[in-house]
Amino acid sequence: MDVSGLVDTATGRQSRTIYSSEELYKQELERIFARCWLFLVHTSQIPKAGDYFRTFMGEDDVIVIRQKDGSIKAFLNSCTHRGNRICRADRGNAKAFTCNYHGWSFAPDGSLAGVPLENEAYFGELDRSKLGLVPVTHVAEYNGLVFGCFDPDAPSLEDYLGDAKFFLDVWLDAMPGGTSLVGETQKMVLGSNWKLPVENVCGDGYHLGWAHAGAMMAVQSLDLSGLSVGNSSADLDGGLSVAGMNGHMALTALDGVSGYAFYPDPKPMLDYLEANRPEVIERLGKVRGEQLWGSQINITIFPNLQFLPGLNWFRVYHPKGPGQIEQWTWAMVENDMPEEVQATILDNQCLTFGLAGLFDNDDGDNLAACTEQSRGWRTAQMDVFTNMALGRSGPREGFPGDIAAGLVSEHNQRYFYRRWQEHMQAESWAEVPTYNINPLSAQETVDA
Amino acid sequence: MHELSPAPVPVDVLNTLTQRLYHEARLLDAERFEDWLELLCDDVGYRMELKRRRFRADRSPPAAVGVGVVFNETLARLKLRIDRLRSGFVWAEDPPNFVRRVVSNVEVEPADAENEAIVHSVIVIHRNRIDGLTRVFTAGRTDRWRHGKQGWCLAARDIALDHAVLHDSNINVFF
Ligand code: FES
Ligand SMILES: [Fe+2]
Repeated sequence: MDVSGLVDTATGRQSRTIYSSEELYKQELERIFARCWLFLVHTSQIPKAGDYFRTFMGEDDVIVIRQKDGSIKAFLNSCTHRGNRICRADRGNAKAFTCNYHGWSFAPDGSLAGVPLENEAYFGELDRSKLGLVPVTHVAEYNGLVFGCFDPDAPSLEDYLGDAKFFLDVWLDAMPGGTSLVGETQKMVLGSNWKLPVENVCGDGYHLGWAHAGAMMAVQSLDLSGLSVGNSSADLDGGLSVAGMNGHMALTALDGVSGYAFYPDPKPMLDYLEANRPEVIERLGKVRGEQLWGSQINITIFPNLQFLPGLNWFRVYHPKGPGQIEQWTWAMVENDMPEEVQATILDNQCLTFGLAGLFDNDDGDNLAACTEQSRGWRTAQMDVFTNMALGRSGPREGFPGDIAAGLVSEHNQRYFYRRWQEHMQAESWAEVPTYNINPLSAQETVDA
Repeated sequence: MHELSPAPVPVDVLNTLTQRLYHEARLLDAERFEDWLELLCDDVGYRMELKRRRFRADRSPPAAVGVGVVFNETLARLKLRIDRLRSGFVWAEDPPNFVRRVVSNVEVEPADAENEAIVHSVIVIHRNRIDGLTRVFTAGRTDRWRHGKQGWCLAARDIALDHAVLHDSNINVFF
């Protein structure tokens, strides 16, 4: 389906049909979810041989398994006999996966290890070597984040991430001990199209002061770029909306502490930041060490991964049809943090952006209603707009990307929909444009 | 076979605490949060851990930092949640939703401390929210109630939510 008329980046317009059409959804599964690198697991979630984690790539059920040699493999979680799901646990450690239907058994390397009555019923004619679990052919890791990709023509993960790595490393590489995702998976079903939460988190600082006013009133302990209750004010220079990095985005404050603005008691975290900031400056340079580490940063990796160092929630959205998603959340910690700080972060993440999260519980109904209001005969023909601060972006020294000032603009959302359109129009990766606007590689004189 | 109750508590205690659970449910259904807080001890612990789904034979070690929670509340944190709900800015609750709690399967048994009792119960929370959207939460609860000068107060509540995936966009309710 031709989507050239459904998104207009120049004016910030989207047709509502992109949130409700079954046909477009099928095209998304093929051209976005089966083409892009998708987050699978953090290495900390499967540390030992035999550790496994179940997830989804689009609507495909996938099981990610740590191998004996320490490498990570991913397979479709589907028996090669009659298709049954081979694993129904969320995660764990196993020596083998035995299918519940007829008892075929698969080793952690995916090979078909056992078939009941193999000689008697199959007369020894079964070629087990051809019936192993179907692998996700492309699996790669970037600083602890493991991604999978179905498309053999995809660029390498490093190239796919491009200049977004500048922001990823503010969490992943700030401290020498690396990072972990902690806690069980916080799973929620929302009646929303998958693009709406992504657009919300990638750039929508606008909704904070209104949609979350009650939560901000209850727990806000530090100022976040002048954003206060009731939409009364926002310091438009207090942050940056960064886009134009192959569809990835960052929305970031610049004060180095506001990530902890929504902790009732931020002191232990602020102490940790203060004690370790010199080391982070040494590792990441002044811009990131002073201005980004500890700041409220929303990072989006196209299409469905988002995480917020500081508030410390890490999330993927699994599409379940045009009008439904499963939202999975974990808490993020740095391994160098003292255990009490890590425990506080897990606890506060659950308090603010968990299943009963003071903030999180404000968003779901809005996203679901935006989805429903694109389903009617008339509403499906209508448009919605992300046209705030159009044309007010440019380069900024020391940062990659095309940048608009402030946390309140719709700059990032426009780039998200532009990327969506580029993928949906392209027949293959060869037709997908690559761009890292104002690339860091062209700014080598800056900082160190 | 197990006895009906390992060591029966006096009938009046059973009665009082059972009535207390029903009363609590009615206060919460009516959003009488401040009256509900009166039923809690000052040191109340109100907890719901995250669910996990594992094979029975799974051998993986316990989570390093913790499993994570849905609720891990002190009295102050419960008040903070109530401040939010009372702020007038929680749009998901306006118009108010139709919320009804059903409390059942009440069992009371003695606790280690003489002035305390353990109370098991099941709660079903029915919510009718936007238009016809109806969602039901089911949970088991294990409480510790303490008897003091003011009568019985809730000292601890452990809530086991029976949903691995939450089928609603918020939990703006107390269990
Ligand atoms: S479907 Fe798995 S063994 Fe038959
Ligand atoms: Fe939000």
